[in-house]
Amino acid sequence: MSTKLIDAYLDGSLTAPEMQQLNALLLSDAEVRREFAEILNMDSALAAMAAGWTKDGAPAARQTHWRARSPRWIAAAASGALLLSGWWWQNSQHAFATVEKAAGVVEMADGSALRDESHEIKAGSVALVTARGARIVIEAPAEFRFESAQRLHMKRGRLAADVPPAAKGFTVITPTGDAIDLGTRFGVDVPSSGSAEVHVFQGEVIAKASGAKAKQSLRTGDAITFDQGASTSRELRSSAFIQADEMSELTAGLAAGRRAQSDAALEKWKSDSALIALLDFETDDALTGIFRRVQGRWPGSHAPEFVNVGDHLKLDVGGDRDWPQLSLAAWVRLDRLGAPYQSLFHTDGWDSSNPGQVHWMINRDTTMRLALIGNTLSRDANERDGHPDSRTSVLPEQGRWVHLATVYDSRAKTVRFYLNGQFDKQTLLHVAHPARLGPSQIGNWNQQDRKLSGRVDELLLLGRAMTDDEIYALHAAGNPYR
Amino acid sequence: MSESEIEFQHRFLRLFTMHESAIRAFVRRLVPRRADADDVMQEVSVVLWDKFDSFHEGGDFRAWAFGVARFEVLAWMRDKGRDRLVLNEDVVLKIAEESAEVEPRRERQREALEVCMNKVPADQRALIMQAYQSESRIQEVARESGRTVAGFYQWLHRMRKLLLDCIRRALTQEVVS
Repeated sequence: MSTKLIDAYLDGSLTAPEMQQLNALLLSDAEVRREFAEILNMDSALAAMAAGWTKDGAPAARQTHWRARSPRWIAAAASGALLLSGWWWQNSQHAFATVEKAAGVVEMADGSALRDESHEIKAGSVALVTARGARIVIEAPAEFRFESAQRLHMKRGRLAADVPPAAKGFTVITPTGDAIDLGTRFGVDVPSSGSAEVHVFQGEVIAKASGAKAKQSLRTGDAITFDQGASTSRELRSSAFIQADEMSELTAGLAAGRRAQSDAALEKWKSDSALIALLDFETDDALTGIFRRVQGRWPGSHAPEFVNVGDHLKLDVGGDRDWPQLSLAAWVRLDRLGAPYQSLFHTDGWDSSNPGQVHWMINRDTTMRLALIGNTLSRDANERDGHPDSRTSVLPEQGRWVHLATVYDSRAKTVRFYLNGQFDKQTLLHVAHPARLGPSQIGNWNQQDRKLSGRVDELLLLGRAMTDDEIYALHAAGNPYR
Repeated sequence: MSESEIEFQHRFLRLFTMHESAIRAFVRRLVPRRADADDVMQEVSVVLWDKFDSFHEGGDFRAWAFGVARFEVLAWMRDKGRDRLVLNEDVVLKIAEESAEVEPRRERQREALEVCMNKVPADQRALIMQAYQSESRIQEVARESGRTVAGFYQWLHRMRKLLLDCIRRALTQEVVS
């Protein structure tokens, strides 16, 4: 009886006497009230679900009919609640977003308008501006789709968003959870396999893992992984995301033909008679370890990325002899972490019975260190920790590719450090063993406190002392920025 | 905009975003049509924003919002509901009062819908979603499904019943496990 009345009430087919009957039942019978409330409650949930549904299984664009029906709303919005007006609904007549810059992306051109359709980019990075003014950079490989100017579905790829007040509520939907922005800068990483991550650089984001009951408020510096319906805290990956201000320099670098220059220079180093190893990570061959293969400095190029504790890359080179001189260089894009040391290159055989084993790393204070076991500092050396350390911080506040190099000379008893092609510091040694290599790791050293977090590209090991000019040229040739 | 104004907006947005679906469902339980709920909801969000400076930090936002929403529903009924078949005020007050007490359970019920919908065969799920996307198009959806309009409504009632049973079962199991 009551169910029939409730169904008719929902269908709008109730007669006036029936309405009276229903009201009387609801007033007198708590059980009917409960059933009524449960059905209406489900009705609300069904409507919410239907709003995000399309035939092909992808969520639909938001309805826009609200706006037309709501003069009072618009007036209120205009009079001060501006933040709300841009929030739920928007005019779907216009593009949801526009491509501002496409760097190395063949699938999209500058100025393209994006609406409710799927996009895939295989290489490069693209900077977008939404209709609400949110600035978004998406790095390939990526698949994404705007449901509206305020809702972006990321199937995979990496995104950094800078959201102004007018676009508050901008939401990124991933297969494993959603991130709702409250006017901030944040990043979302959706790896090809594995769980998505949300990183808040500034402001506040609300995160909700798929299927989770609870929403979580994330503040500046917070980061989480969506993992099987729950959010797990993780370290902030401050440099994992390309942000809007980096894009213009990357596009300018590409336009200036930097990549061709870099490739040509690499060929030169490959034929250097003192070459021990040059890893550009472009071929898959024989790189063992645990890491993600992601985009390198150039659109479509590759670099290993170390994300989790224990990630590493194994290498076994130069173990057949001693190296009186050794130059080490790499492009890196690293997070600023609290971890004491980040391993750039650590030989496994570091042991007092094996002098000359090499450890190249970044210290907690973000300077660079080159330590060889058994070496001692010159009395004139001014070092705080008893090892040769560089002077200048080598990690920028935000994500950037930087070029690090160090040159060791056991005969001259010197360690020299370089940052972005520029000489930084020299440390004099008292005892200087020839360098010894062999089995080694990049990104770790069998110890958690050597965890490296970020990407490494174009790692060069040369069995001679490179000159200042050579380091300068190495940086200049490989620099992705202009 | 000053720092404190931005912080004020953030605070509001955070709370509103977290509780929007509960407030919307609250309103929906008190008005006859989904479109009515949309209308009332817009008023409610404007009022919440306007009066947010009177909301005490650390207070129960949802309870406060339910209070505002109840008032707006009654106002809507006096205005628009006069020539419509609506719940009477005493019923509205009773359901509103009970809503606040059982909201955690109602929220779990709304969330359980997703699981239950996944048990419905895809073609039928699609029909339900189409029916719910636009109340005005329901006759069209009925025709496309090959049913009569009356038959379609009957079918929809059955599906709602099945879903509600599933949701209730899901919550019972939740208590047991």
